Amino acid sequence: MSLMRAVFDACFTGGGTRLKPAGPRWPLLLFHVDTGGCGGCGMELEALAAGACDMRGAGFGFVKAPQGADVLLITGALTRAMAPVIEAAWKSMPLPKGLICVGDCAFDGGFFTENYAVMGGVQRKVQIDLTIPGCPPPPQAVLDGLCSLFSQSEAEASL
Amino acid sequence: MDPVSYIQSGTVTETSWRYVLGEMLWRDLIESLKEHPLSFTGLWCDGTYVHALFMQPDMQPLAASLLLENNRYPALSSARPVSAYYERMIFDLYGAEAMWCQDERPLVDHGLWSVRGPLSGTTDTSEKLPERHLVFQPSDEIMQAGGVKASSGPATGGLETPVYIALATDNGGQIRRAEAVNGYAHRGLAQRWHMSRIEEACRLSGRVAAGSSVAHQLAFCQAVEAACGQSVEEEVELLRVVLLEFERITHHLFALAAIARHAGASLVASQCMMFREKLLAVATPVLGSRLLMDHIVPGGVSLQQAAEAGELCRHLSELGEEFYPSLAALWRNYPGLSARLSDILCVDRSMCDRLGVDGPVLRAAGGEGDFRRLLWAYDGVWRFTTGREGGCAEDRVAVMVAETGESLRMLRDLGPRLGLTAGGRTELAVTDSEGIGVSEGPWGMVLYWVTLRSGRVERVYVRDPAAAALMVFEAALSGQDISDLELGRASLGVNAAAYDG
Repeated sequence: MSLMRAVFDACFTGGGTRLKPAGPRWPLLLFHVDTGGCGGCGMELEALAAGACDMRGAGFGFVKAPQGADVLLITGALTRAMAPVIEAAWKSMPLPKGLICVGDCAFDGGFFTENYAVMGGVQRKVQIDLTIPGCPPPPQAVLDGLCSLFSQSEAEASL
Repeated sequence: MDPVSYIQSGTVTETSWRYVLGEMLWRDLIESLKEHPLSFTGLWCDGTYVHALFMQPDMQPLAASLLLENNRYPALSSARPVSAYYERMIFDLYGAEAMWCQDERPLVDHGLWSVRGPLSGTTDTSEKLPERHLVFQPSDEIMQAGGVKASSGPATGGLETPVYIALATDNGGQIRRAEAVNGYAHRGLAQRWHMSRIEEACRLSGRVAAGSSVAHQLAFCQAVEAACGQSVEEEVELLRVVLLEFERITHHLFALAAIARHAGASLVASQCMMFREKLLAVATPVLGSRLLMDHIVPGGVSLQQAAEAGELCRHLSELGEEFYPSLAALWRNYPGLSARLSDILCVDRSMCDRLGVDGPVLRAAGGEGDFRRLLWAYDGVWRFTTGREGGCAEDRVAVMVAETGESLRMLRDLGPRLGLTAGGRTELAVTDSEGIGVSEGPWGMVLYWVTLRSGRVERVYVRDPAAAALMVFEAALSGQDISDLELGRASLGVNAAAYDG
């Protein structure tokens, strides 16, 4: 499987033409795909989206279609059945776009290392813009991780 | 002869409740099951034998094993329709064919794995199948219903586990037939459990299906402890009950929020999630995690501050007294919500019996099926509370709301019985043997059948209510509006992560 690398810096660094607005005053839109896990990370994302922390106020929201998303947010060990699904979602996302892994499974498989059905996370397969570790990470940790994107962009812009 | 007599006329094994049957006896067993209500629990394979597990009325297990002949065996699904789920799984994992199976669709292997029949023991692991998209092969039944007109999944942008649902609909959007395609979240748990260390296997069992981690790990640990012929201390049992009931509360609030959201009642959904977060904010520092993974371990419990568990129960019940009554009233009185949920996605008692459904879905249809009544730790605490018989989405909501209140009351009653000993932990003397453990999870019975060998876990067989939920989901969607799809999924307990093992 080959995932094209995002031109994510257009959103978060100073250079280049911005195709989408970015920054805390604009929602960064996330398209979530569970790539085959126990569902725990999805439950914590649900808690986050339901208002456990002020996700919208921090500048993030979920969308129902990849065509309107800025970021592909994946949870769960990457199963062979889900690999073509996230590839298709990635290809249908407009530029610039990025990839975020939430939970240990999404990054390196966690408890679900490579076997006949699982590819064992996306680490070493694609470039990841942000990893939020945990099994599962609680909503506040997810939000802190997402917010770190903005602090990165501000730091890079000031250079 | 009844099925119990047929099974017990087989060859007894080292395990007192398991018998090896010849093929003719197995066929006689199938015929007798058509006339007898013996409770079927599951069907599994080890590559050499298939094993069918039944529960007698006193909850004593009774298992029948049949040697595979030419990698085939007579199917049980003609007598127990839910067996088709297990027969499909066995074919995908072992290549063993169930003769006269009632459903021949692949369950989890859709030609995308690196090998075919990965657990068959005869697989050529050098075989590499080409990478491609999963292509849905519609069944004859869905073609007769007009073919696939709509579909959902596996990536919807939602936060649930991945499943693809193909729908045959009429022009008005009414569903004629629904078929779910699974395997997107299949992680090969049976292979991972094989010859794993007991602690490692326990952690895996906590990650079969999030939201039911306590139920899974409790059943796993009980099975290991039963195989070792040992039991845990009384306070450990009580702490496990506290964890199980707290999981039920948080799970039900999560599920109720999803139902309310799909029913268009955002305020009710947010109130459920807010109450859940308030409970978790109090419990997490004491228990150690939000989704309660890895707190039940073989021989004991593992809590961050176990000595505080009694005080935690008091805090949780106080929160319950403060917020639960208004939440229950909101469910009853929210404008239009009752009308939205009544008379849709109905699952009657006969469908539950036919497909082996239990848990709140059965209780909302007038059945009981609550295994907590059989556990001594619930003596004087558990009481039967349902009274619903309609079996529609509204009835299931009413049952889950009532169960949430009951679990909060149980925590209040259990708190004073917990001391400061933190339960302690029993050292297990592991021998080559097998055992069974059962717990009542949020959606129904979770059962583990564990075989130990050489100090490790040789095999794990899991029964999760999601298997029956998948079949009842497909059946209940017929005649429903397409807009009720997600509502059906949320109110019936369909969980793609659990289709493993």
